[in-house]
Amino acid sequence: MTNSIAEIEDADCMFVIGSNTTEAHPVIALRMKKALRRGAKLLVADPRKTWLARHADLHLQLTPGTDIPLLCGMAYVILEEGLQDQNYIDNLTENFDEFAAAVNEWPPERAAKVCGVPAGMIREAARIYATTERAGIYYTLGITEHICGVDNVRALSNLALITGHIGRESAGVNPLRGQNNVQGCNDMGNNPTYLPGYQAVDNADELRKFSDAWGSELSSVPGLRLDQMMAGMHDDSVKCFYIMGEDPIISEPNLSHVEKGFAKLDFVVCQDIFLTETARKYADVVLPSSCFAEKSGTFTNSERRVQRVRRSVDPPGNARTDLRILLDVARALGHDFGEENPRAIWDEVAALSPKFSGIHYARIEEVGLQWPCPDVDHPGTKFLHEGAPIRGKGLLYAVDHVPPGEEPCAEYPVLLTTGRTLYHYNAATMTMRSPGNVEKQSLPFVEISPDDARDLGVVEGQALQMESRRGQVEVLAQITDRVHPGVVWMGMHYAEARANLLTSDAKDPEIGVPEYKVTAVRLHPAG
Amino acid sequence: MSQIRLGLDGKQIEVEPHTTLLQAAHQHGIEIPTLCHDDRLDPYGGCRLCLVEVDGAPRPVAACKTVCADNMTVRTHSDDLHRLRRTMLDMLMAEHYEDVGVKPNQLQELAAEHQLVQPSLKLGRRAAYDDRNQWIGFNPGACIMCDRCVRYCDEVMQCSALEHVGQGVGAVVQPTGRKSFLDTSCELCGGCVSTCPTGALYEKQAIVKRGEEVVLGGGGPIADAECEKTRSVCTFCGVGCVLDLNTKDGKVVKVTSDIGVGPNEGNLCNKGKFAFEFIHHSDRLTEPLVRGADGELHVTSWDDALQKVAAGMNGVKQRSGPDAIGFLASSRCTNEDVYIVQKIARAAIGTNNVHSCAAT
Repeated sequence: MTNSIAEIEDADCMFVIGSNTTEAHPVIALRMKKALRRGAKLLVADPRKTWLARHADLHLQLTPGTDIPLLCGMAYVILEEGLQDQNYIDNLTENFDEFAAAVNEWPPERAAKVCGVPAGMIREAARIYATTERAGIYYTLGITEHICGVDNVRALSNLALITGHIGRESAGVNPLRGQNNVQGCNDMGNNPTYLPGYQAVDNADELRKFSDAWGSELSSVPGLRLDQMMAGMHDDSVKCFYIMGEDPIISEPNLSHVEKGFAKLDFVVCQDIFLTETARKYADVVLPSSCFAEKSGTFTNSERRVQRVRRSVDPPGNARTDLRILLDVARALGHDFGEENPRAIWDEVAALSPKFSGIHYARIEEVGLQWPCPDVDHPGTKFLHEGAPIRGKGLLYAVDHVPPGEEPCAEYPVLLTTGRTLYHYNAATMTMRSPGNVEKQSLPFVEISPDDARDLGVVEGQALQMESRRGQVEVLAQITDRVHPGVVWMGMHYAEARANLLTSDAKDPEIGVPEYKVTAVRLHPAG
Repeated sequence: MSQIRLGLDGKQIEVEPHTTLLQAAHQHGIEIPTLCHDDRLDPYGGCRLCLVEVDGAPRPVAACKTVCADNMTVRTHSDDLHRLRRTMLDMLMAEHYEDVGVKPNQLQELAAEHQLVQPSLKLGRRAAYDDRNQWIGFNPGACIMCDRCVRYCDEVMQCSALEHVGQGVGAVVQPTGRKSFLDTSCELCGGCVSTCPTGALYEKQAIVKRGEEVVLGGGGPIADAECEKTRSVCTFCGVGCVLDLNTKDGKVVKVTSDIGVGPNEGNLCNKGKFAFEFIHHSDRLTEPLVRGADGELHVTSWDDALQKVAAGMNGVKQRSGPDAIGFLASSRCTNEDVYIVQKIARAAIGTNNVHSCAAT
């Protein structure tokens, strides 16, 4: 997030796209609800009629996978009607002409034909967003989990840049992160091209710093991304996995194919708190680890705030903390990375990473600090790009519509999109073990429009067989006007109906993120 | 806009425009008792405990609803105010049945501070309310009708799953339509519990021992005072809600979050507040496992498991090179944990093949 969570409640316009915030980030949604009570404008772009969509000034109910036409259409209106911040564009952006030429291809009337949002509504949304000073964009995986995820983000960043809605209080571009420490995991260098603190492995000076500090000559060859590692199982370039707290045979797309890869591996280690499906079927060694309540350290939240996590109970039985396990694994491999002392390890991170140098446990015992925080007197950074974009000038991109990897056809006429529900979390290994969550929501369901349900001849709660080119699952029909005819939606949480048996491994070519959000399926009553 | 100047308990102070007397007092370290107030809610002025004296005013005013004005002279504590507050508390204690709900609670603590040992009278008791949900318990007998829960549900969650119905003798707070919490628009966030000053709304104990058997969910109230609190951060989504893990006998028995704390300001969702039973679930892995020649996983010692991990990875490294090994770090673990994961990949194995689902 370029802004802080607390800034949301002071926004005068919230443009929420590809985020069902009240269910996936309920507590961030409380800030949005607060802004709504104050009278802030709300624009929601989502294929589903979510809570926020129902309370929005405008609900842009687009077809999944058509974000770029919608966003280019809005940019078109902004330029056509002279609503842009010309001063910001002239002084603080580059590549405007190329961007404007690309946008020129998308008058709202053309965009409307592709994305399904009426042209008049696209115009109105553009006006509201462009003419409100404190206008923030909020998005999540509905933007990124597409074949053109990177370009979707660029299209959003374009809108913020041409209106100057960035680098100010309550105005910015805000991805809401999905997991407790997904931000920190990347910050700490769990990335094939970046060392901790976003220092590149192919930058000789930065690599040298780490090689010296760790006393090992490190490889300057960028590693494989997650999707490339998955592919590497099939061509034998990857023979071993060390998997921590993940269940790839549930969470990766096109699961049947993934499982064939796992069957070929020489050696698999799983470190987890439960026996995951991946561990049960493919692990050679399973290491019992700890959940958040059993360990100390830090998590970094969506607003870049490093906060203290504290141990309150012991791990069960002979399970151990992840840190102890990892340090013992390092030792077994002949490397001594020190004692199990999270504070000392954080200090090592801070010493090696200028972005975090000023953050130390003593400063975050009460309230966490937001990076960048370069020195111990720095108060942390509330919002990014103040005064000017961090890279100097904001780069405007020419982006164009990329059709989804698969589109509805005669054989698979319905678009399936997936997501998280309020009562479950990802593969649901935790929430399915909570009686209260199960009581509220236990069986896999699919949201289907009344029209489609009638055409299929199914009634509420009836079992449906849903098939894609890759697999099939059985789900219960939940008939609702939350989705348009031709679009169905299901949660990704169910072991007995794994949405990822259906999803394709089409992916964004630049970063390899799978297109979880668009799958062509067909449905028929089960049995 | 210029600052507002006023006299507060004999001291000249300056505050921002639109500051209430309650906020001004708080900013200057003066505590005024309140029951119906929660910083997350609009000022209400219902309980009258925050009454203060303003020179020239014909009657005491509620500090929570009165905005500071230039040249006001305000007294927050006096013998008269103390008597007045004690009378208010006496009336509230009349309808608060101590044998139900969580004790001690905010109301009982304030009563004790005002030397109110026994309420002057006890009248009728509100009918009990039984609900089949696993998480939120509700004892109307302890309720004083301050409406904090109803207002939280309306103003903060905007769910309107609780209602204040009836007047006078028949007035009661209840889930909308007196249905189960599970059958209303309630999202089970527990915000009503977090704001309740009487313990009428409480967390049903998550772990209940029935004889030898440990059962999850549906237990009775457990007071904060019985628990040890450890401040931490939620393990679910990326908001980073700050919360307190309440432990008793080595188990997490409830989760709370102090009003105003963290990016969440003390708010939580159903997962952060209640979905922690997994911590002590019998499915947790408790022993290292290795796959035997029979293809099954078998319990082993840590020494054996660690040795097998090293041997297995070294074997692949020798046969196929370091880049044949991939690491999937968890976005659920701490920064310190995952820093060590990539350090093992890079410094101990020699590959940059380290990634996570942070990819999306």
